[in-house]
Amino acid sequence: MKQHLGRQSGVQTVEVSLLDGKVEVTPKEDGQIDPAQLLKATYDSGVTATEMNMTARGKIVKDSSGSLALQVAPNRSFTLTPNELSKGLEDVADAPKMLTVRGELYKKPAGKQKADPSAPLKLLILEVQKKE
Amino acid sequence: MNTKKLALLALLVSIVSPVAQAQIKHIEMRVEGMT
Repeated sequence: MKQHLGRQSGVQTVEVSLLDGKVEVTPKEDGQIDPAQLLKATYDSGVTATEMNMTARGKIVKDSSGSLALQVAPNRSFTLTPNELSKGLEDVADAPKMLTVRGELYKKPAGKQKADPSAPLKLLILEVQKKE
Repeated sequence: MNTKKLALLALLVSIVSPVAQAQIKHIEMRVEGMT
């Protein structure tokens, strides 16, 4: 799996901890990394991802449907799952402010419900680390 | 004319640069079934 993930575009390093069942991916600075592609590559390598968290720096924008999104590259943004933290970001939407946030992009549904790794990833903000 | 061009350039830089600095810094996954 380490090799499989390491071959994905935009990936610099992959660290796998068998003991904790944890995989850490450090992206290159080229902005090419695609979390959805990583999730798919994980499933393709025969492993089930139960959770995916991301730390990213970006700008809060309003997407075409009026929902808040974190833009991390000119052509890549993640719609925010509404929560208390995202409500507090409405005032910086479309402002030239950069934020560093940690959030959950994917969580395997509880129980026997089948996971769908191809569904669009939404970002549930867990922590706002920096506002610039 | 030059002032106009400089002002336009400054405006473009202020719009584009925040997005250019944006990036995914780290991704962490929890997985099952790893051997």
